[in-house]
Amino acid sequence: MNVTRKRSFILYFIIVAFIGCLGFFLFEYFTSASSWATNPVNKLATAQAGSNSTGRVYDRNGVLLAYSQNGERLYNSDKEIRCSMLHAVGDTEGNISTGVQTAMRSRLTGYNLITGLGTPFGLKTTGDVTLTIDSSLNKTAYELMNGQKGAAMIYNWKTGEILSMVSNPGFDPQNPPQDIGTNAAYDGAYVNKVLSGALTPGSIFKIVTTVAASENMPDLDSQSFHCDGSEVIGGSPITCTEVHGDQNFQQALANSCNIAFAHLSINLGANTMTKTAEELGFNKSFEVDGIPTAKSSYNVSTASENQLGWSGVGQYTDTVNPCHMARILGAIANGGNAVTPHFVKISGLPDLIGNSGESMMSSTIANRVKAYLRWNVQNYYGDKMFPTGMQVCAKTGTAELGENKQNNGWMVGFSQNDSTPYAFVVVVEDTSQYGYQSAGRVASGLMQAATNLKK
Amino acid sequence: MEQVLTVLKSVPNLVFFVFRIIIPILSLLVILRCYASMRAGRRREEPVVFLEDATSGVMIPVLYWENSIGRSKSCDIRIPDDTISRDHAVLMRRESGWTIVDTESKSGTFLNGKKIKGPMSVRPGDTIKVGATSLILKRVTDVKPQARPGRHQQAKTPSPAGLLLTTTLIQVLLFSQACYGSGELSLLPVLPFVVLLIVEWGLYFYSRRILSRVSFEIETIGFLLSGIGLALLSGQRLELDEGQALPSATTLFHWASMKVAYTQVITMVMGVILFCLMVWFMKDLERTTKWRIPVTVAAVGLLALNLLLAHSTYGSKNWINIGGASIQPSEFVKLAFIFAGAATLDRLQTKRNLAGFIGFSAICMGALFLIKDMGTAVIFFVTFLIISFMRSGSVRTVALAISAAGLGALLVFQMMPHVASRFDGWRHVWEDTQNAGYQQSRGMSYGAGGGLFGLGIGNGGMGAGTGPMTGKSNMLFAANSDLVFDMICEELGIVLAVVVLVGLVLLTFYVRGDVSRSRSTFYSISSCAAAGMLLFQTMLNVFGSTDVLPFTGVTLPFISAGGSSMISCWGMLAFLKASDERTYAGRRRGSVPVPQPSREEPEYRPRRAVRGDGD
Repeated sequence: MNVTRKRSFILYFIIVAFIGCLGFFLFEYFTSASSWATNPVNKLATAQAGSNSTGRVYDRNGVLLAYSQNGERLYNSDKEIRCSMLHAVGDTEGNISTGVQTAMRSRLTGYNLITGLGTPFGLKTTGDVTLTIDSSLNKTAYELMNGQKGAAMIYNWKTGEILSMVSNPGFDPQNPPQDIGTNAAYDGAYVNKVLSGALTPGSIFKIVTTVAASENMPDLDSQSFHCDGSEVIGGSPITCTEVHGDQNFQQALANSCNIAFAHLSINLGANTMTKTAEELGFNKSFEVDGIPTAKSSYNVSTASENQLGWSGVGQYTDTVNPCHMARILGAIANGGNAVTPHFVKISGLPDLIGNSGESMMSSTIANRVKAYLRWNVQNYYGDKMFPTGMQVCAKTGTAELGENKQNNGWMVGFSQNDSTPYAFVVVVEDTSQYGYQSAGRVASGLMQAATNLKK
Repeated sequence: MEQVLTVLKSVPNLVFFVFRIIIPILSLLVILRCYASMRAGRRREEPVVFLEDATSGVMIPVLYWENSIGRSKSCDIRIPDDTISRDHAVLMRRESGWTIVDTESKSGTFLNGKKIKGPMSVRPGDTIKVGATSLILKRVTDVKPQARPGRHQQAKTPSPAGLLLTTTLIQVLLFSQACYGSGELSLLPVLPFVVLLIVEWGLYFYSRRILSRVSFEIETIGFLLSGIGLALLSGQRLELDEGQALPSATTLFHWASMKVAYTQVITMVMGVILFCLMVWFMKDLERTTKWRIPVTVAAVGLLALNLLLAHSTYGSKNWINIGGASIQPSEFVKLAFIFAGAATLDRLQTKRNLAGFIGFSAICMGALFLIKDMGTAVIFFVTFLIISFMRSGSVRTVALAISAAGLGALLVFQMMPHVASRFDGWRHVWEDTQNAGYQQSRGMSYGAGGGLFGLGIGNGGMGAGTGPMTGKSNMLFAANSDLVFDMICEELGIVLAVVVLVGLVLLTFYVRGDVSRSRSTFYSISSCAAAGMLLFQTMLNVFGSTDVLPFTGVTLPFISAGGSSMISCWGMLAFLKASDERTYAGRRRGSVPVPQPSREEPEYRPRRAVRGDGD
């Protein structure tokens, strides 16, 4: 019997394995139960069959955007509001991970570790979510985008509140298309390009080069730039859309002269350019209501002289995230201090979130760059593009994506008027037009509509 | 004011929530008390008889029911004498008295001067000669009192009736949820509950009053677990299609919607009957060992029948239809497998060759492979490892078996990629919630949604209960079997789910600790194999459904819906019960006939204080 007892030790292997597995499972459970329970596969949580108590989503003016009724998740009755708010609100299935219906699922479902999805105390533990977005302004933005791929955003550079945020393509969350997985027209429909997009910037990147030059070249305004339309720099040509002749810096920025900015970035050097880009938040992500944005990227570590030149005009491997670009513009508008954008208002709490900013540049530099951008609008785009008194500072861009591909048209800017503290970013993809035409039209319309915003 | 009203309206909700906090606390109490009682109730390692060395007069205590005598260090009775073989003979206590068997020693064993062939009965005073040593069998009472260790005072143990009463209280709390937990009254769970009560108390009185058994802990744990499973299933209305009205609140019997719960309770009754039969059958060791071969042959026949008649259900062909009832033969083969694998100590020492058992194991696993029931095949394999190690003690055999199995698995994966593809989803269930991770991601999601104390029976999202997800089409596939652990988590909370696991682990601990007190190595090996099999199956089920291990789709013992599985689990408990020597000892009561020890045999006195049973 002694021998048998000794040999029964083999049972300990199973017991130890069992306890090991149990420990591992409990660790996973207590660290991830919230995300498991609120995953869209849970029909109780998605409220497909669930209770009417699941939280509602409102816009900044109390317009109901999403709610549950009789076991169904329902959305605003206006189709265009539904489509325009899609990426901010999210879809029922939870495919849009950055929408509040997914990102704030715990709050909407009332999940907590102790009672799970249940409400044993009868009290509604679920919370509503109010967005900072104005749904009618967003609807306008959606109409202005007119079905073109791209993204548009307006935010208050003083408070950080996002007032409008649209990403295309999208779909109607009330009736998701059956062919969304197969139809190429819906490529990227689940992605909110404002938060998760990273696109080639083209000339809007010249703002970054301008900041670098302003910070590092005391004689910038006395420099002169010559443009023959094309120039071999570092062994390959850098080209412009037209011949700009002799220009000072202010004119070169307004002309969006590639040759001038290629020389500037080469003269500044890869290290200085990278340092400034990173001070402005390139190569790192930031959080919008806890949702990490896509990184903007500036990397010239292996670039040739010619490529360094192109990087300064927003080509080469540069990419920017629209929300990040808006944040840079907000910093320029706000004396160098960047207020982080957000689009969720926690009900009941005063709007404190996002008010703490991050200094991106000195106020002197910010004011200099602001002046360049203001001169741009006054002398090139024309103040009549925007509502009177807004004193818009802006830059357009047309990013070339290479052979067989259309361009990205950009317009980014802000109103420097304290009573209309709005910064905007508009990008239109797959367009043959220049940024001034494609994105400019949307930007102009957006700022017009923004004058109707309730203060 | 409005809030006060809402709170008032939810009073029943709150009451049931409190119930769900009490249930795991009481369950843990029952499990821990049962374990403590089992441990405390064990006989101390006191000598049963003595062997007196005729030359030196040294008294050698005989501690076990089966004792190996030899020179080897591992022998129960070790005699350092070079003329003795390493494992020379076995002294065994049988129904008829003490018996000595020579286990192929070099010099032979002599009883009262005559060389023995085969088992010989030994009486007190008889001389056993092994090698140059003569040993005289002595009663404990013949030995001077100082040579006997003092009697131990037994720790007070909880009364079996009290434990079963607590279990019943837990079941009342559980079934009240099943009746009203979703806010809609339904009396349908009453019938399964009443049957459960009758069976557990019926077995209690049969076992304690009629058979005069001392212990009821193993059965109590069995009923506790079965009750949890039955209550869960009673909250489901499975055969109802969408739109079809539920039977009225006061309906007591409705086959269509309660089929699964009814099947569960009927098979539980059958399981309990099988348990009683097996415990009775295994009382007589000779009878038991005689039937090993026929049982093995029957098991092979059953598997052959399975292969011939099986219809494919969800990918594996492990079901056969007999007279309208579906049975899963492999569940019964599990019992036969353990039965065939165990052996008495004298056989362990003489028939060291495992060829027969390996052959039988190969047939079982091969058949399961053809049936495509991989989960059960792995369970058989692990049980094979336990049995073959306990029989041979050979690490080499185990290592060889594991490498052979590893190679085999590799070959299978190479030649049959569809088998390997079943593991694709493992640890990636959240990346593919629509295909490979469909079941587990949903199971885990619903399970986590239950929080610590669950949403209440019938209120879950995966179980097609009486709550928000009424209707057959709303049940997540295999929610009440392969994914039942997640269902416990969702409806009764993760705390209770973990308590259930604690119960199964403690059962294994107990079996391990009680090994040397069995009446024969046959019982200790079979109970270790049964406990190991139950625990390993639990592991595959629980950690498969929670994506810690690959998902194999086996049942959770006592809880998953599944008739054959329920029956075989109670059969497993019979091995545990038979391994406990107290099972057959009975209580000493004047009015109740106790199996009389033979005249020569020192009487066996279970040292156990029993409270509250009128003793």
